[in-house]
Amino acid sequence: MKHVSDDKVKWLCDKCQRELVLSKVKVRYLEGNFEVDLMKCPTCNQVFIDEALALGKMKEVEEGLEDK
Amino acid sequence: MNLDKLLETGDRCIHKEPPPCTAQCPIHLEVIDFLSEIEKGNFQNAYKLMEKKMPFHKIIGRICDHPCEAPCERSKAGGSIRISDLEKAVLEYGGYKPKKVWPLPKNKGKVAIVGGGLSGLTAAVDLDKKGYIVTIFEKTNRLGGRLWDFVGNSLTEALLNQELKAVVDKKIAIHLENNVDQNKLTQLLTEYDAVYLGTSKWEEPIKYHPITFQVGDFSLFVGGQLVSQTDSVIFSASSGRRAAISIERYLSKVSLTDSRDREGVFETPLQFDISSKEPLSPIAKSTAIYSQEEAMEEAKRCVKCQCRKCIEGCVHLRKFDISPDAYIRQINHNERIILGTHYANKMINSCAECGLCKEACFLDISMNDVIHETRESMVERGKMPITAHDFALKDMAFSNSSRFSLVRKQPSKEESKDLFYYPLISFSDYVKGLYKGTGKTEYLFYPGCQLPASYPDDIKSIYEYLVGHVNGDVGIYLGCCGAPADWAGQQGLMSENIEAIKKVWVDMERPTFILACSSCMRIFKKYLPEIKVASLWDIYVREGLPNKDHIKIPQTLSVHDACGTRENSDLHENVRKIASKLGYGIKELEYTKEKTKCCGYGGLVYYANREQSDAFVHERIGESENDLLVYCAMCKDLFVSGGKRTYHLLDLIYPKDDGNAATRKMPTLSERHQNRSRVKQILLKEIWREEPIEDIMEDNLTLIIPEEVKKNIEDRYILMEDIQAVLKNAEAKNERFCNPETHEYLAKLRRDSVTFWVKYQKDEKNYLIKSIYSHRMEIVEEDGNSGEQK
Repeated sequence: MKHVSDDKVKWLCDKCQRELVLSKVKVRYLEGNFEVDLMKCPTCNQVFIDEALALGKMKEVEEGLEDK
Repeated sequence: MNLDKLLETGDRCIHKEPPPCTAQCPIHLEVIDFLSEIEKGNFQNAYKLMEKKMPFHKIIGRICDHPCEAPCERSKAGGSIRISDLEKAVLEYGGYKPKKVWPLPKNKGKVAIVGGGLSGLTAAVDLDKKGYIVTIFEKTNRLGGRLWDFVGNSLTEALLNQELKAVVDKKIAIHLENNVDQNKLTQLLTEYDAVYLGTSKWEEPIKYHPITFQVGDFSLFVGGQLVSQTDSVIFSASSGRRAAISIERYLSKVSLTDSRDREGVFETPLQFDISSKEPLSPIAKSTAIYSQEEAMEEAKRCVKCQCRKCIEGCVHLRKFDISPDAYIRQINHNERIILGTHYANKMINSCAECGLCKEACFLDISMNDVIHETRESMVERGKMPITAHDFALKDMAFSNSSRFSLVRKQPSKEESKDLFYYPLISFSDYVKGLYKGTGKTEYLFYPGCQLPASYPDDIKSIYEYLVGHVNGDVGIYLGCCGAPADWAGQQGLMSENIEAIKKVWVDMERPTFILACSSCMRIFKKYLPEIKVASLWDIYVREGLPNKDHIKIPQTLSVHDACGTRENSDLHENVRKIASKLGYGIKELEYTKEKTKCCGYGGLVYYANREQSDAFVHERIGESENDLLVYCAMCKDLFVSGGKRTYHLLDLIYPKDDGNAATRKMPTLSERHQNRSRVKQILLKEIWREEPIEDIMEDNLTLIIPEEVKKNIEDRYILMEDIQAVLKNAEAKNERFCNPETHEYLAKLRRDSVTFWVKYQKDEKNYLIKSIYSHRMEIVEEDGNSGEQK
């Protein structure tokens, strides 16, 4: 579930004013635990998820797990 | 869930049962397929179907006594399909040069056939094809027996000779002028592995098994007229074939009786309602045999009997293109699967549980009950997808929280004494009602959760009307009956809710509940039969309508009855009485009253499968040329959102002057919450004259939301309070991303198992919302914080 933002423009972490970096992030839902590459702030670790990811791949995985 | 019982229910469905023509045909010609091919002009395909099922099809097709025609459903609407004439036409136009068939090696045993008539020849050819060494003993000097009696217009001598020659050419041993008597038969039984006796008469009566045609436990099998006792050629041929099956099973040493209950003629359980079909007379033949065009026209009259009663009325079954028998097999699979995907979940959550299928079914099969039980089982086993019903269940929790829920007795005489002055005491029914107050709550007005959400301004008027018109004190109870939990299969939550309602009822000394919502009526009947209920609409009829003289433009309306009231015929009548008292004409829909359809909200389809819900809405609104009249808030909201002018009964009883009653849009999900809270505030303030405890207008940020974003908010089940919470958190803690080029912020907050994201721009006072979305998957941030709101 690797995901790099489609936005041309760059988002910054507002708290830390740092550029986001692609890193391994743990996600979980129901019985599923995954490690995926997502954009996040290297300082405070808050993870960036854009609309395309949330309503696309993430939703698909959520539905898949709910039907397991 | 009892899956054996489930499968039994599925087996009762007659959707897949054969039509009477096929069931009454001893050899089960697939008549519907046969006629379909003719209808399309595919005579050769029709011919192949005859060839496949009919022994000596070129002979029988011309002389068959067609027991298929008498039971034809078409006989009730113009006349039976002329299947026999169509067979003759197919032999004429569909014949083709058969491919050479390579015979099987003859190594499976020796069978003697006594009697070279139709049944014997059928048995002989069938067994020869299966690889047996067959010998025919015929007492006359030719094969064919009484087939020769049929030589005439249809069956020529040449054709009969040609067909008999084909038997000879198979190199079946044939002994002509070879009479078999009892002694010879005994000898044959020792020389051959099995003997078939197909003579028209025998020296003494023979006892045989009615299904296998075996005589005792001997290797002797009978058929033909000895079995059929009639002149029917098709019965003769069928008995020869069935005896051949027995012989094969006997010699292969497998059960002779297994799965043979539908051999030969049987009564099909299929029922078919032809009443809606236009009568059509049979097509006349212009010559001895139908022309191709005539045959195609005649075949077109076939109604292709199949029970589709429930499917015709149900857009859910049609959308998934499934009949109850197949549906139940899928549920069975879905319930049994341990590892893997539960593919039927979505379908199971797309049924409106409206009950029309049972109403339509000849056998009262209720998919509503089946699906309800399935949902309960899914919840019990932890297999119900959370997303399907989560929002509806949260909405129910809201309605039962202090933000809406309220229980009050009628204001007492003591509390109301400042109202008892002239002219109020003489002219206000409400004040008169308060004056008659006894302190004992005879009635409890329970408007439900969706009516106050859609009609917040009318609840107080209704309450005052009730106090002024019914005999005895009227209290109020705001809350949700639990219909969402019921539809979601949440038995635990449901029984909790029922207990809470019961407790209020007992505390209030068992008053009669006055219900205004059709879902509440269904729930009370199902779970709270001990509570006496009255419908608000029945009370309007009994006690008279308020605001009698307001109708401006009388018009004709079509009533859409709420599916929850399907069995309540008194209510159906009273709704119509109210409309007609107010001067409206009624034009009934085809699916009405006990046969009403669901609007698309039932069963929580609206949340679980919006596309399916839309299909319900659009099918229903397409059925009426007139404006619709409904008495369920969700029916109204869905039909209007589908673009149909629709009145709720309250629009007629408590008309507003704006003229927009039939087009007033559904309140948003957030507005539904706010409206419910507002109802509580209005009632507390204006009826009970209490100061509201809660301040519903928290100091909220000012949002500017473009229309397309508003639509997304609704479609994604997001509430304004979610957006407010995300923004407040972002502003307070700077937990957000920023985009220096666009000056946008993107903030998130996890609330109650959902992470909400809001993209926005900000000026001094306003928040311009650019987009909003959510996900359920949880991000585990490295400090161990999942972002859940504390």
